[in-house]
Amino acid sequence: MTPAGSLLIAASLHKTYGHTPALDGAEFSIHPGEVVAVMGPSGSGKSTLLHCLAGIVKPDSGSVHYNGRELTALSDAERSGLRRGEFGFVFQFGQLVPELSCAENVALPLRLNGTRRKEAEARASAWLERLEVADVAHKRPGEVSGGQGQRVAVARSLVTGPRVLFADEPTGALDSLNGERVMELLTEAAREARTAVVLVTHEARVAAYSDREVVVRDGKARDMAGAR
Amino acid sequence: MSGQGAPAEEARPHVSVARWAADLAMGGRFAVTGGRESWARTIMTAVGVGLGVALLLLASSVPHMYQQRNDRGDARSTLSFGDTQVKPGPDTLRIADADTTYHDRDIDGTVMAPDGKGTPPLPPGIDRIPAAGEMWVSPALKKLLDSGDGKLLRDRFPYRTIGVIGDGGLSGPTELTYYAGISPKAFGHVNSSQHLDHWGLENKGKNEPLDPALLLLIIVGCVVLLLPVLIFIATAARFGGERRDRRLAALRLVGADIHMTRRIAAGESLFGSLLGLAVGAGLFLLGRGLASGVDVWGISFFASDIVPSAPLALVIAAAVPALAVVVTLIALRGIAIEPLGVVRNAKPKRRRLWWRMLLPLLGLALLLPLAGGFGAGTGGGGDMKAYQAAAGAVLLLIGTTALLPWVVEAVVERFGGRGSVPWQLATRRLQLSSGTASRAVSGITVAVAGALALQMLFASVQAQDSEDTGQDPNRAQLMANVPVSDGDQARDAFARYRATKGVSDLLGVTEDYVSDVRPSEEDPSSIGEEAITVADCPTLREVVRITSCANGDVFLVDSPSYYGEGEGFAKPGAQVNLTYDEEGIPNLKEKKLWTIPATATKVKPRQDPAGGERTGIFATPAAFDVANLPDPDASAMIRLDPKVPDGIEYVRNASVALSPAMDVMRLSSSSQSDEFQAIRKALFIGATATLLLIGASMIVTTLEQLRERKRLLSVLVAFGTRRTTLSWSVLWQTAVPVVLGLALSIAGGLALGVMLLKMVGQPLAVDWSGLSTMTGIGGGVILLVTLVSLPPLWRMMRPEGLRTE
Repeated sequence: MTPAGSLLIAASLHKTYGHTPALDGAEFSIHPGEVVAVMGPSGSGKSTLLHCLAGIVKPDSGSVHYNGRELTALSDAERSGLRRGEFGFVFQFGQLVPELSCAENVALPLRLNGTRRKEAEARASAWLERLEVADVAHKRPGEVSGGQGQRVAVARSLVTGPRVLFADEPTGALDSLNGERVMELLTEAAREARTAVVLVTHEARVAAYSDREVVVRDGKARDMAGAR
Repeated sequence: MSGQGAPAEEARPHVSVARWAADLAMGGRFAVTGGRESWARTIMTAVGVGLGVALLLLASSVPHMYQQRNDRGDARSTLSFGDTQVKPGPDTLRIADADTTYHDRDIDGTVMAPDGKGTPPLPPGIDRIPAAGEMWVSPALKKLLDSGDGKLLRDRFPYRTIGVIGDGGLSGPTELTYYAGISPKAFGHVNSSQHLDHWGLENKGKNEPLDPALLLLIIVGCVVLLLPVLIFIATAARFGGERRDRRLAALRLVGADIHMTRRIAAGESLFGSLLGLAVGAGLFLLGRGLASGVDVWGISFFASDIVPSAPLALVIAAAVPALAVVVTLIALRGIAIEPLGVVRNAKPKRRRLWWRMLLPLLGLALLLPLAGGFGAGTGGGGDMKAYQAAAGAVLLLIGTTALLPWVVEAVVERFGGRGSVPWQLATRRLQLSSGTASRAVSGITVAVAGALALQMLFASVQAQDSEDTGQDPNRAQLMANVPVSDGDQARDAFARYRATKGVSDLLGVTEDYVSDVRPSEEDPSSIGEEAITVADCPTLREVVRITSCANGDVFLVDSPSYYGEGEGFAKPGAQVNLTYDEEGIPNLKEKKLWTIPATATKVKPRQDPAGGERTGIFATPAAFDVANLPDPDASAMIRLDPKVPDGIEYVRNASVALSPAMDVMRLSSSSQSDEFQAIRKALFIGATATLLLIGASMIVTTLEQLRERKRLLSVLVAFGTRRTTLSWSVLWQTAVPVVLGLALSIAGGLALGVMLLKMVGQPLAVDWSGLSTMTGIGGGVILLVTLVSLPPLWRMMRPEGLRTE
C-alpha cells in the first residue's frame, strides 16, 4: 500500500539509545481505519517505532507526518495535546492507575481533555459495556483479572474517539482465550470508528487480526507482501 | 488475583535459633549485597535512624549537661546560707557583683580585693587573685574584646588582662565573664559588697522541688520532642519497603516460606537500624564537638558535658533495632508475599474509630483529676501526679496521632473522586494507602499539638509573669543609681552623664532622709523621718505635679497615712534635722538644722519615668545645697539621643568610670521573664526542626512512591497527561494529610493546652501567634515536599519509562 491517502507516514526514522541503534531508516504508513501489525523479534525496534509514530519519543532523524503535520517539529505540549485528543494507547501491562476505579481510569483521558466528570464517566460506562466489562466499573485494577484489565485499557484508549490507536503487545500478558477476545473487541470497535490501529506484536495469531503486516528487523521496517 | 487477600497463615513450624540467626544474617546480607538500590535503601534507613538516634542520645545527655553546668555554677557561687556574714580578716576577700550588658549580651563580672595580706580564697578557673587594675577573662570575653565588635566594650574595662579563666570556672564555653581586681578604696563607690572566706556552696542542701508548672513543661516537652523522633525512626525503618517486598517474593519463588521471608525482612531491617545506631553515634559525636561552640540564649555547654546517661544509652541501643524489627513485621502483616509477587490486601480493613478515640479520652481522663491540683501534693503523691500527667499527655498526643489515619480515610472517602483530575488522583491514592501518608504526618501532629499546648502554657505563665513595671520609656530610657558619698559627688556624676556621648538629657535626683528635731510624743524611742529630694525644676516636674517652679522653690508631698496618724513634721516653716549617726539613726545630740521655707507648697506626687513615686520634701538646688546631705543616693534617669547608635553602651562605659560595679537599667513598660522567652523560642525551634525532619521523611516516601510508579507515569505521559496535572496531584497528596494532621494537632494541642493550664491554675489563653506560626510552617513543609518532589517527578515522566527492553 502506498503512502498516498495515509493518515500517518514515517520516513527514514533513525533512533539510537546510547550506542545501540533502535531504528535505522525505518519507513511506515497507515490509512484511516486500517489495522497494521508491526512484527519482529525481541529488541528489533518495534516499540521504538511505535513510540516515534505516537510522538512519545523524538527520532534522531527522519520525519513523521500525521494528517499533514510534521510531528517532529511540534513542541512537547503540542504532541501531548495530540496524544490526548487524537491518539489512543494500549500497553502490555502496568497502564491502569491502580488507585482509580476502572470507570475512572476509562474516563481519565476525557477528563484530562476538560470533559466534565459526569459526562466523562457516562461515556466511560458505555465503552466498558461495549467491551463487556461493565460489571467491574467500580472495582480497582488490582481487583480485576488480567483480561478484564486489558479490556478496560482498550476502552480507555478508544473513549476519546482517537484517529489512531497504538497498541503495544496488548495481549502479551493474557492467555490465548482472553487475548483473542480482547483483539476481537479492539479491532471491531476500531474498524467501526474508522480508527487506524498500529499493533505491535510478536504473535502471529494476534497479527492475524490486522489488514497488513510490517516486519521490523535491525531497525528497518519492511512491508510484507500478501497483506490481508 | 481478583479480590485476593492475604492467605491464611500456615502453622508456624518449630524453628531453631540457628535457623533464625541464618535468616536474619541473610536479611543483613541483602541489605548490602543487592547492588546500588540495596545500598541506597540501607543508607536511607541508616541515615534516618541515625538522625533519630543522635537526637535521642542528645536528649539522654541533658541531665548530665545540666548537672555539670550547675556543679560549676555552684563551685563559684558566692551565696551563703544562714545569717552569719563573713567578717573581714587576713584570709578573706571582698567582692562585688559587676555584671554588665553589651549589645544585649550579659557579661557576668566580679570585682575583688583581698581584705588582708593572707591567702584569700581563689575562685575556680584562675590561679591568683587579680591585683588592682588586673583582670581574668573568659575565652569568649577575650575573643569579644579582641574583636572589632568589642571595641566599645574595651573602654568599660580599665584593667589589664592577665589570663584566661579555665573551664572549671565557667558555666559554658561561650560565657562572657571576668574577675577584676580593684583597690579596697574603690569599694567606697560600690553599692553593695560582701566578704568571702571560700567560694562555692558548702551545703547545697536538699534540692528544692521544681515549680509544678516547670515540671509539667519538662514532662510534656520531653514527650513532644521525643515522640516525633520515635515516629521518624519507625518511618525510616520502612523506607524502601515496596522494593524489599518484591525481593522477598523472589525468595518465595525459590522456596522460602512465609515465616522465613519475615525473618529475612527483619534481618534486613535489623542491619539498617544497627547501621543507623552507628551513624547516630557518629552524628552525636560530631554534633558534640560542634555543640561546644554553640550559644543558645547565653547557655552553652562544653563537649565534655554532653555525655549520655549510660542506662538511657543502653535503652536506646536495644530499643531502636527492636523498634525497627517490630515496625517491619507489622508492615508485612498487611501484605501477602507470594512466589509470583506481592499482594497487598485489596480491601484494607476499615479503620475503627472507637479505640482511636479511646486513647485521647483516656489521656483526658488522666489529666482531668489533676485540674487545679497539680503540684499541690508532696512526696509520693507528687511523683504519682507527675507520672499521671506524663501518661495523660502522652496518651492525648498519641491519641491525636492515632486519629489521623481514620480522619484522612474519612475525608478522602467523603470528598475523594470528585473535583479535578489531580485531586481525584491524589485522593484515590490516599484512599488506597492513607496509612503511609498518615504515618509520615503523625510526627508533625505530635510535634505541633505538643508545641501548641506548651506555647499556650508558656504564653499564660508569661502573661502572669509579665508585670506592668510602671516605667515610662518615653520619658527616659535608662536609670542609674550612682553610689555617692556626698551631694557633691552626685552633682559631679550627673555632670559626667550629661557630657556622655548619646545622652540628650538627664533627670538627676539626689535623695536622703531628714528627721524631726524631737522624738515622737507618743513613743519617745521613735523619731519621725521624711525623705528629701533635691533636683532642678525640669526634673522636679517629672516627679511631682507642679505648675510653676523656680530655682529656690520647695514643695511638699504628704506621706501616705501608714507613716503615722495626722500630719507629718515636714511643714512649711518647720525645722528638720540633717544629721545621722553611723548606724543610720537620727542624731539629735549633734543636730544640724534646716528650716523648710514658709513658701513651700503642698503638691501631689507623680510617677517618675522609672515608675517610682516619691513623698516628702522636694527642694530645688538654690533652696537646699546637696552638699549638706550626709549619705545621699543619686538616681540618674537618662534620655538617649536616638540618632546616636550605641548610646546605651557609652552610658554604661561612663557608669563604670563612676563605680567599678555599676550597671544601668533599661526602662521598659513591662517586664518579661527572659527564661520563658528563651524556652518559647527553643520550643519553636525544636518544633520547626521536627517538622523539617518529618518533611525530609515525607520527601523520601514520596520519591519512593514515584519511583515505584515510573512506568505508570510514563503511560500517563503517553496519553498526554500534562506535567501540571501530576504536579498538582503530588501537592494534594502531601497537602491533604498534612492539613488534616495540622487540624487535628490544633484540636489536640488546644485540648492539652487547656488541660495543662487548668492543672497549674492559670487562666485560659490561646497563643494565636504561635498557632498561626506553626500552621504556617506546616504549610511550608507541604510546599517544600512538593517542590523537592517535582524535578524527580518530571524526570520520571519521560517516555523512556515505557521501554521494556
